[in-house]
Amino acid sequence: MALEVSIRDIARPNDDPLVSLSMRDLIDLPGLDEEPPLEPTPKKFIDKYEMSLDGHCCIGIPKPKSKEEEDFLVRRFLSGLEKLFNSEDSWTFKQALRLSFDYCVKCQTCNEACHAYLASGRKEIYRPTYRSEILRRIWKKYFTPEGKLLGKFVGADVDVNWRTVTRLAELGHRCTLCRRCAQRCPMGVDNALIARELRKLFSQELGIAPIEILEKGCVQHLRVGSSTGMSPSGFKEAVEFLEEDIGDRIGKKIKIPVDKKGAEILLIHNAGEFLSWPENPEAFAILFEAAGISWTLASEAVGYDAVNYGLWNDDVELARVAVRHVKIAKSLGCRKIVVGECGHATKALVVIADRVLAGELSSSEVERECCLPLLWEIIRSGAIKFDPSKNNFPVTLHDPCNMVRAMGVVKPQRLALKAIAPQFREMAPNGVYNYCCGGGSGYAIIQSFNFPQWRNKIGARMKMRQTLEAFKNELDPVKYPFKYLCAPCSNCKGTIRDAITHYGLWDKFRINYGGLVELMVNAMVDIDRPFIEYEDFH
Amino acid sequence: MGSFAAYLAWLAVAVFVFMVIYRFIKFNSMPLHLRWELYPLPLEPKHHHGGSYMEEVDYVRKPRHHIRINGILDMASEVFLLKKVKEYNKYGMWPFSFCMHWGIYLMCFWAVLLVVEEVFNWGAISPLSNVVGAVAIIAGAFGSLGLILKRVGIAELAAYTAPVDYFNLFFLLAIFATGIIAWVTDPYFFDDARAYVAGAVTLQPVTVPFWVALQFLIFELFLLYMPFSKLFHYVAKYFTIDKVLWDDILNVKGSAVDKKITSQLSYKLTWAGPHIVPGKTWVEEVEIVDAREGK
Repeated sequence: MALEVSIRDIARPNDDPLVSLSMRDLIDLPGLDEEPPLEPTPKKFIDKYEMSLDGHCCIGIPKPKSKEEEDFLVRRFLSGLEKLFNSEDSWTFKQALRLSFDYCVKCQTCNEACHAYLASGRKEIYRPTYRSEILRRIWKKYFTPEGKLLGKFVGADVDVNWRTVTRLAELGHRCTLCRRCAQRCPMGVDNALIARELRKLFSQELGIAPIEILEKGCVQHLRVGSSTGMSPSGFKEAVEFLEEDIGDRIGKKIKIPVDKKGAEILLIHNAGEFLSWPENPEAFAILFEAAGISWTLASEAVGYDAVNYGLWNDDVELARVAVRHVKIAKSLGCRKIVVGECGHATKALVVIADRVLAGELSSSEVERECCLPLLWEIIRSGAIKFDPSKNNFPVTLHDPCNMVRAMGVVKPQRLALKAIAPQFREMAPNGVYNYCCGGGSGYAIIQSFNFPQWRNKIGARMKMRQTLEAFKNELDPVKYPFKYLCAPCSNCKGTIRDAITHYGLWDKFRINYGGLVELMVNAMVDIDRPFIEYEDFH
Repeated sequence: MGSFAAYLAWLAVAVFVFMVIYRFIKFNSMPLHLRWELYPLPLEPKHHHGGSYMEEVDYVRKPRHHIRINGILDMASEVFLLKKVKEYNKYGMWPFSFCMHWGIYLMCFWAVLLVVEEVFNWGAISPLSNVVGAVAIIAGAFGSLGLILKRVGIAELAAYTAPVDYFNLFFLLAIFATGIIAWVTDPYFFDDARAYVAGAVTLQPVTVPFWVALQFLIFELFLLYMPFSKLFHYVAKYFTIDKVLWDDILNVKGSAVDKKITSQLSYKLTWAGPHIVPGKTWVEEVEIVDAREGK
């Protein structure tokens, strides 16, 4: 039986999407009788933008208006592809990419690991090997002697036209880079890395990326100070708000240290927390204050926003942001940077950027850590008294891929939850084998065009299924009026918030979400009122 | 013909060994990449729950170590048992892949045993080498034929299989199938195989039945071809796993990693994106806030 779409169809010269998504094909969500339908692609988008991958888009590449524009796309795409394998331009991932490119045996063992592929009803284009194989065949055709000589015999048979280029740009953004596929590869091939490097090609060579990631993400982050658009003065106002809000919530006054020279820890939050979930940085402040930790926030541009969207698509931007973070910590005389509850920011600074931070900026000079071990240490040390009965409602845990699968930080958050949440239960699978929230690699912040529909329906679908299964015995909102999905990561929370809203899980089942620190503060003996607002979903 | 095959045997082994070493060095000399490890990491003492040294506060100041034996065992379970294919491949490829791989391992082992028999005059191991040879060709033929049929018959596999991939499988099948034909048609197959290898080793070839000579000729050609093909993945795999997925080395000032990274940060970029200034080194590039201001 022929497949719905072939590898060579990527060059198909028309507006028809390569695949059509259908509600019938999507995996079931247990306990959910109905859900919003899939909306068709708006015509206003089809006329103007590249939508011919799956009827969705997150980049919004305008259709070329002339042959010159078409040729430009093709030419620059090919030059970018060549640079991915150039040692100077792309030393950052050359070896890993080269190996994954050349030695996939196409056994398709990885496919069943992919939440997007499974959730979509196994749509061909979401198969982890689909985009890799296209890119591989293009590379062979245009850049290898065997490809030029033997052509189709060695699989050098994908044409590059402007459709190929624009569809590939979108296709690079149908993988959340969770790397669950790489976990299963018998060869150690990493199709997520190939997707990431495909994005890098577009970002670094053509400046093409979702606007939220490059333009409003990295570029704005470096220029203004935060990807949220928050300037240093805006940050100081935000801190004032946090202090006031802490007073309102717990009836105690806490002074949040900013630019405190010589503090042991520079804490960097995802700045989105200040705007969307201020209770999260507030909870950190309450905990650190109560535990007697020497810490500070930084007010210098970039230093108060941990995000590093370069992680997903741009090595140059990744390096720029990481270097600024560490230099700010050094200028304050902090021994260590601790990244708040943000998975990608943690991985970017602690792990990935470890090798763009040389000499005076290296790990031994400015230490960098995930916040979760410190949070467990606060509980373990007994520095603060907790009363778990204050959290006596069903709690489950989403493991952020970046902290767990990509960093091996697995136990601290579990130990913490077991200590403060008596009704904690695991999702299945969990830990390093978890499924992505569906908002990894920047999807959580992409609101452009009709991409949120793809994220909710395909990207986050598996996580919603896991959530419903974790609470399957407590779905009744009357008997169980509050359930908590703990997701200690800003991007995960953003995706989960949107998906819970999309599927109506708060209204129907009273499933809420939040970080780990909120639960910790909620259980503090010294605070005589609930920190978590049980009637509030936001 | 016999002399040619004998010389070819030496050439094949020499090219094979040279290319393995050459390509190993090539892989190893690629730039040091950014950290991109993946958990569970078998070398990690906390690998049983997928944990890492980053689970601890102040980990930078604490000693770290790898349990190499765990890495070796994990790698061995993939190489010899194809554990992940068995566990996760939904197309039922494992029995065939397992047999094909063992066919290759045993074919090489058989050749080594025959050489050892000749060089050391160890006739005592003949029964063992006969069994190894028999199992090799049966398992290899079963496995490679099964994989060909799987790839032809399952649309999801066929779509991703290029003609060269079939060529590789047929190449392997040819080695094993000619072996089976030789075994069936020649009542003295194992002795003739022994005589062939002895002749090749001493460069004094003897005449053996056509199918026996053909099997070894194809095997020699395979040794010549393999390092240039994707079948070379067994060496690449060491790098994909040990040098990428298991590489969790922390960068410490003054360390070998630090020196290498410092050197690589002096490389110049030519990327053309609007936020990048081409022609600058990585060190210079990171200082730029908004490249468009200067463009």
